[in-house]
Amino acid sequence: MRTKSVITRLVAALAIGTSAPLFAQGNPIKIGVDTPLSGTYAPIGQQVKWGLELAAKEINAAGGVLGRPLQLTYEDGEANPAVATQKAEKLFQVDKVDFLTGTVNSGATLAVGQVAERNHRLMATTVSFADSITGDKCSPNVYRVNARAGQQSIALAEWLAKAKPKARVFFLGPDYEMGRSTVAAFKAAAEAKGAVTTGEVFAPLGNKDYSPFFGQIRAAHPDVLYTSVAGNDTVRLFSQLDEYGLLKGGMQIVGASGTVTSQNMGAIRKEAEGFVTGVGYSPEIDTPENRKFVKAFEAANKAPPDLYGADSYGVLYFYKAAVEKAKTTDTDKLRTAMADLEWMTPQGMKKMRAGDHQAIQDMYVVKLTGGEFKIISKVPGVAAIGPDECKRF
Amino acid sequence: MADAGSVIEAVRRSEDSRRRSLSAFALAFVAFGVAFAAIAAARGEVFFLRLATEALIFGGLALSADILLGYAGMLSLGQALFFGLGAYVSALVLKNVLPSFWLAMLVTLLVTTLIGLIAAVIATRARGVYFALITFGLAQVVAKVVFNTPSLGASDGIIGVPVIAIDLGVGQVTAASPAAFFLFCLAFIMALYCLCAYLARTPGGRVLAAIRSNEDRVPFLGYPVTRARMLAFVLAADVAALSGALYPVLRGFVSPELLYFEVSGNAIITVIIGGMGTLIGPLYGSALIVVLKSVIGSYTAHHLIVIGSLFVLAVIFFPQGLIGAVRPSLERRFALRAAPLRR
Repeated sequence: MRTKSVITRLVAALAIGTSAPLFAQGNPIKIGVDTPLSGTYAPIGQQVKWGLELAAKEINAAGGVLGRPLQLTYEDGEANPAVATQKAEKLFQVDKVDFLTGTVNSGATLAVGQVAERNHRLMATTVSFADSITGDKCSPNVYRVNARAGQQSIALAEWLAKAKPKARVFFLGPDYEMGRSTVAAFKAAAEAKGAVTTGEVFAPLGNKDYSPFFGQIRAAHPDVLYTSVAGNDTVRLFSQLDEYGLLKGGMQIVGASGTVTSQNMGAIRKEAEGFVTGVGYSPEIDTPENRKFVKAFEAANKAPPDLYGADSYGVLYFYKAAVEKAKTTDTDKLRTAMADLEWMTPQGMKKMRAGDHQAIQDMYVVKLTGGEFKIISKVPGVAAIGPDECKRF
Repeated sequence: MADAGSVIEAVRRSEDSRRRSLSAFALAFVAFGVAFAAIAAARGEVFFLRLATEALIFGGLALSADILLGYAGMLSLGQALFFGLGAYVSALVLKNVLPSFWLAMLVTLLVTTLIGLIAAVIATRARGVYFALITFGLAQVVAKVVFNTPSLGASDGIIGVPVIAIDLGVGQVTAASPAAFFLFCLAFIMALYCLCAYLARTPGGRVLAAIRSNEDRVPFLGYPVTRARMLAFVLAADVAALSGALYPVLRGFVSPELLYFEVSGNAIITVIIGGMGTLIGPLYGSALIVVLKSVIGSYTAHHLIVIGSLFVLAVIFFPQGLIGAVRPSLERRFALRAAPLRR
């Protein structure tokens, strides 16, 4: 995989070496991609790679950025911060990349962001959604082009306030840090829109039997059940809710975007029907830009794009817009150019908020209908963005 | 009596040549390190110097695993517990208390000795595979607790550990200078090595070797087995933690992954590839494995297959590790050189 880029680099080096004055303009802009190519997160790394490659191909075919082609260099970050930081350092120091992207888990994004800062280079994540990355742990060198967890919660809460005003909500989360923080975030967003909390329980991760919690749920008479369990926990929760008859009374189930995914949907096609969540992207978005993107993506990769593929595709257009505005790849001038920069993505126009480096974008509320997520509502970007909590810059 | 005398003489001679050959390896390691630093600094390298520093740090962890495996015959599958403990304690001290290297080391040493003693009471009661399972379990429990503790950064770990200057009395070494910090870590890890090599030659170290050879017989000679095993365990914990304490100084962050089984398992692989029971072998092994992982990992996502195959081949063809493959000829040379003098 790397051999190819080494050869192109050698060829490029030879070309530059022999005719420097003529083609100096054409030396590539290097983009480092520090993403998990092996292990549990490899499927996400695959989407990141597909999205970036499609965008780079399109940009290069249209004449590159400032007349220079984009060149992608991959390193396997293994979704482990200890590995990802070492790889980031190699990309900055040995490969001399101009910009870095591709980190998936928030631990890796935060640690690699610090490497970018210490190497005086910029990076963007297209996947991590932990609020802290553009919140209390924000960095002047780190950008996020995808929607953070808070935007998903706010979008869902907006929809809930319209669909079921003053809803009585019961919360059921997995008992670990991320589970508790997603529940807390949605609870705050929903209560701000008038929802009433009727109860809150946390089940152990990998819980086998959810029935002990059902008594509490029944007694609380909620209109809505919010859950942020994921993977096989979702399968067990939904099948047990069904077995115990809790799905019959018209209780609406809403949840985190990772609760029902293509990976576990097959096992609970019937039980999860009607599940609603907030997302930053859906292949269904009916705009000319997205239709064109989905078509090109499927033609190139024989698989549909998910939110990671779409946002990784979008990040190169973000970088292109910034470089063209700054007319250079210099870090400080780029940072200035990226402030409040607007650029086009499959999701429509996005705007990079200068205060915390979080992209503002339209959010979507989707409902599982006949085994597919259908868009039922769109929440404008400014309504879903939430406050700027970054204090470092 | 003459017979006993000549046996003691023969043992001493074989021990002498063994010790001298290991010292030669240690000196060569330092020489390689210094030469590498000089060349890399002259070429203005940053990445490779910092990668080599990381290899030294993980070498310290492997050294601690070798104290247990190679000397006391105890297979620990949880050395990452102490490595991670040192890393977290040092990160917390440097970030929240005072950016002083020596304070971080002191606190790490105190905390680890205490926790190491508690863990030793639990773990060293068990033998063989049960000891391995208990150490594995302890490390998993602590990793999960750290993973779910918001005040320790939970799954994201702690970032923002400052880049510090280390006060050496005569001057300062800044962690921002790759070459200077590499040389500092080389000196630090070699100091840990020398301490361990010295302790291995003391009566206590010999008791450990005796326990490895025949544990049941040691009590009959009047030596307490449990105490020796506990001391070895605490020493290994301290060596692992002091090595781990260097990690946040190098990388500026810590994360729960440092406590995972992958790190403990890697330490064992490093010991076996480098040469078990040699103490210096694990440092060579770490240099080899960290560099191989990084270089192969840049070319293929299937680097674990390559490392795994190398491990299998190494165990089949070099069961004594890198050091073991070279040492016999070196020892013969030392023995030959020594023999004519005695005659």
